[in-house]
Amino acid sequence: MKKPSVVRPKILLLAACLLIYPLVFSDAFYRDIGVTFLLAAISASAWNIVGGYAGQVSVGHSMFYGIGAYAPLLFYQLWGWPPMFGIPIGIVCSLLLAIVIGAPTLRLTGHYFSMATIAVAELIRIFTGTWDLVGAAIGLQGPAVARGWWDLTFRGELPYYYIFLGVLAVLLYVTYAIERRRFGYYLGAIKAGERAARSLGVPVRKTKIEALMLSATFTSIAGSLYSIKTGFIDPESGFGILISVQMVIIAALGGAGTLFGPLVGALILIPLQTATNTWFGGSGSGLTYILYGGIIVLIARFEPGGLFELWERIAPARWKSGHAA
Amino acid sequence: MLLEAQNVAKAFGDFHAVAGADLSVDEGDIIGLIGPNGAGKSTFFNCLAGDTTPTGGRISFAGQDVTTASPEAHARLGVGRTFQVPATFEDMTVLDNVMVGAFLRHPHRRDAREHARGIVELTGLNSVAHSRARSLGTPGRKRLEIARVLATNPRLMLLDESLAGLTPTELQEAIKLVRRIHEMGVTIVIVEHIMEVIMTLTRRVLVFNQGHVIASGKPEDVVKDETVITAYLGHGSRRHRSET
Repeated sequence: MKKPSVVRPKILLLAACLLIYPLVFSDAFYRDIGVTFLLAAISASAWNIVGGYAGQVSVGHSMFYGIGAYAPLLFYQLWGWPPMFGIPIGIVCSLLLAIVIGAPTLRLTGHYFSMATIAVAELIRIFTGTWDLVGAAIGLQGPAVARGWWDLTFRGELPYYYIFLGVLAVLLYVTYAIERRRFGYYLGAIKAGERAARSLGVPVRKTKIEALMLSATFTSIAGSLYSIKTGFIDPESGFGILISVQMVIIAALGGAGTLFGPLVGALILIPLQTATNTWFGGSGSGLTYILYGGIIVLIARFEPGGLFELWERIAPARWKSGHAA
Repeated sequence: MLLEAQNVAKAFGDFHAVAGADLSVDEGDIIGLIGPNGAGKSTFFNCLAGDTTPTGGRISFAGQDVTTASPEAHARLGVGRTFQVPATFEDMTVLDNVMVGAFLRHPHRRDAREHARGIVELTGLNSVAHSRARSLGTPGRKRLEIARVLATNPRLMLLDESLAGLTPTELQEAIKLVRRIHEMGVTIVIVEHIMEVIMTLTRRVLVFNQGHVIASGKPEDVVKDETVITAYLGHGSRRHRSET
């Protein structure tokens, strides 16, 4: 829906910045921030498909993230498979879960849907914490030393940075393609009003399930990337509610339902989070909750449309994305 | 027969919003539904559009039983509707709103856009095509709703008070638009309180009261009906007619 001539230079500039970032900031600390930023941007962009574009605010997306995170390490521990073999298995499991969970919960609207997704994610987290096959409360570990490149176990952050960047690029392209197709228009119509959308022939339930499946796929991939990189997963780091909340906040902060909103949100939140962790160390572990709570209040009170909408309102016309004539 | 509703009933618990209403609409008809507030017109309308499943009776459209069909299925078959309170997609542009309707028959974006542009022009929304729907006033929103439905290429349009709240000039424009849509071959059923609209546009009128159809016929005959005057129009309307 955007003028390619206006948007393309901005995209190229963004791509160039992301490509050269780890080369300019070669310190491990800054590269780690870069990797964390990309992972957060992938997760929030994946959530954005169903939460932002379709307006179905899931606060239980950690269910897909956790499945994606557990799958690579589970099959490594069970049969010694390279962790990346678990990525497609995680996707398939997440897709099945999206269908099973989505069919009943997507009948609900507003807060009821959000609460239902929290309940499901929490149930899975509690169940995983007691299931010995997946390491119960202790969790699972990946290969300590790489047996080959296929284990995707690298010493430095650089390879992870570019792998994550590649995944983010694919996800953004998919989202961009959605925006320009009937599916994207239908998502927007559903978000604005299901009753009116139905009256125009929009297959609401089918569209919502498809959006959830697509969102689950990329959220699962984000989880897999996380566990492969860290080489460890436990119920809290896979299925914890903070993971879901972070996706929602990042997308909402930048602008839910916009292509680059989650990137903007991640660009602000991740350095802020890293700074608070650095300044306050272990004693400030509860600060993340305070930070998230504060951001929710600020967004809800002052800018429900996120920073992207604020930009659209205050920026000079020639800088805005505009609409095709 | 394009649309046939037989003995349609809708009850909410003990309350019978519609209690056995009949309606038959031929292709090319333009029919008005009138009645006091709470008479059951909108509930009946919702039943015809698939928004509400009747608790009794049968509705068929173009020979197909659509009594329990979803609103999506109604739209696919060619039944389009507007809402009493305009339900435009506020954050989308006017053109994008219309494109949502156009996608029903034109799955590809370019075709849908082309079709939507034609509809936007036809409905006089060209100057605001790229404005967000939320920036429109009531007349613009009502017009946009009509445009959006028209983009689905309906055979039957159900207009729920689409002309209410307009100034006299806007009303004349809107009447012209509805007439033009009718001339394009679209059958129209219109719920309206403004008698000028009913008298100008419709060929047949059904009068609702307390869930029942209490009278039907040509508009000029219906307004003289004693039952209709007592239940809806009031005796002042007769005086007004004789004065004019």
